[in-house]
Amino acid sequence: MTNNMTAVRSPHRRIKSGLIVRYILAVIITIIMVFPLFWMLSTSLKTEQQVMSSRLVFWPTAPQWVNFSYPFQKVPFLRYMLNTALITIMQMTSELLLGILAAYGFSKGKFHGKHFLFIVVLGAMMIPIQVTFIPLYIVIARIGWMNTYLGVWIAGCVSSYTIFLLRQSFMTVDDSYIEAARVDGMGKLGSIFRIMVPMCKPTVITVALTTFMGGWNNYFWPKIIIKVQDMYVLTVGVQRLKTSYGNDATANYHQIMAGVLLSVIPVFIVFAIFQRHMLSGFTKAAMK
Amino acid sequence: MKKTKPMVINGRQVNIRPEKYFWSDFFLVLPAVLLLLLVTYYPVAELIRISFTDWRLTMTTAPEYVGWKNWTWLFTAKTSLRYLTNSLQVTLIYTVCNITIDLGIGLLLAHLFNHLTKPFAFMRAMIFMPRYIAMSSCGIIFLWMLNTDYGVINKMLEWVGVTNHINWLGDDNLAMVSILMLTGWHGVGYCMMIYLSALLGISSDYYEASSLDGATGLQQFRYITLPLLSPTTLFLFITTFISSMKVYQSVDVMTSGGPRNKTAVMVYYIYDLAFNDNRIDRSAVTALLFFAILLIVTASTMRVTNKNVHYEA
Repeated sequence: MTNNMTAVRSPHRRIKSGLIVRYILAVIITIIMVFPLFWMLSTSLKTEQQVMSSRLVFWPTAPQWVNFSYPFQKVPFLRYMLNTALITIMQMTSELLLGILAAYGFSKGKFHGKHFLFIVVLGAMMIPIQVTFIPLYIVIARIGWMNTYLGVWIAGCVSSYTIFLLRQSFMTVDDSYIEAARVDGMGKLGSIFRIMVPMCKPTVITVALTTFMGGWNNYFWPKIIIKVQDMYVLTVGVQRLKTSYGNDATANYHQIMAGVLLSVIPVFIVFAIFQRHMLSGFTKAAMK
Repeated sequence: MKKTKPMVINGRQVNIRPEKYFWSDFFLVLPAVLLLLLVTYYPVAELIRISFTDWRLTMTTAPEYVGWKNWTWLFTAKTSLRYLTNSLQVTLIYTVCNITIDLGIGLLLAHLFNHLTKPFAFMRAMIFMPRYIAMSSCGIIFLWMLNTDYGVINKMLEWVGVTNHINWLGDDNLAMVSILMLTGWHGVGYCMMIYLSALLGISSDYYEASSLDGATGLQQFRYITLPLLSPTTLFLFITTFISSMKVYQSVDVMTSGGPRNKTAVMVYYIYDLAFNDNRIDRSAVTALLFFAILLIVTASTMRVTNKNVHYEA
């Protein structure tokens, strides 16, 4: 009887010890992955002596919150934030609006050349800004949009990826809903924004988040178009902090980190709130 | 209205009547398509045109057509060949390493974190998070962590006996390693999540049936998991390939192409030609070559691997 008991229990025990190993490994890897972000926070609260000390200070006993005022004094940091927010909102609005309209046209619309135009849209996914930036730059310079919001916005005003994802989602909505809405006297735009969008809410949220992140974290194109300090976006602006302390750049890493931390806070907030949508959204994209 | 082409169904020609044509539907897609043509297709056409001119950034007169001059420069001139082969080589090394790191570690992590409990969900989110932080911000964090004299990584290496501080970003080989560390940290969570969702999609029947037949865990991984993950791997391979080829931000922030051009990737070179050398024309030919490489590799991977990819029925 006792023999029997151990025979039953032992595989269970093996599974349990396997789980403990798994937990330990997972925690170690998570710590490694979070460490750079922890280090950013920790450094941003240190004094100059602690940053430059030969001894490693993991967490300052007296957090120096005053470091966070530095970016605002040294560079027009508030202006960077405002610029970034404005451009991001512009891009989100146009990408979503154009994306939703086009996605409806490509999923439910009836017109000749629909397939051809959709292939045109898909083909655009293969052409990155890293290839097209020279002619775009020349055009922007010629029409006088250098150093303007419009100049930054235009390169990201529409996204074929957005159209594609929304179209895939709109395809799953049954035609009868639209028919019913039409019978009840609802117009085309009404059925798009009051039926399709609410019914595909998860995808629309995911796409909105992707465009938000894309706008907020954009670096390559704003760096080319914006040469005036006051019009910088955050990603380009924080680079200015690196050289804001004269020759000895390392001496003020506590202040640089404070600036970097401030620039990524909005992303943290959005990630914390919409985390679930982001994860599911990427999975959806991969399955298509 | 355009006449429809006759279609052949069951060996008979059938004229299918055109469905009702809605101008309003056409106008829904028109703005998006026009803007896409303007900001993606038109620049490519313009790029081809520029490649046959002598366009300089600082030029005051109109550029003139010079025929194939820029193309012969690209493939024969000594200066071009030296920098071009260097940037191709650097980009290739980066791409191969980055794909290996992202997909390899991503797959391992997906297995490790394939456990549906709350703590694991939290840890997954933590690993996934870096992807959403701007590369330019992450680059500065890594610059600081890899700092020769005061960086946390060199200080931690002291604990294990490496007392002479490593100059991560100044060393010919370590500079690329530093960039790979940054981008690997940034991108691995994404691959993990995609692999994880694919793993969850594999029916447990396969594993049960195979363990009844006496298959070991490693055999199951080799003969069940890997083949069934191949569509996911293909997807990740192509997306990671394209994003690795386009790498710029991390290089610009971390090393500015140095030391001695050891991290001067393709996009960095193209940018450099246009805005530091003021040679728009040469930049254009190089950009076109870069675009061609992107297209060819993507198309051929799709064609070759499509045959070897297993789709679950």
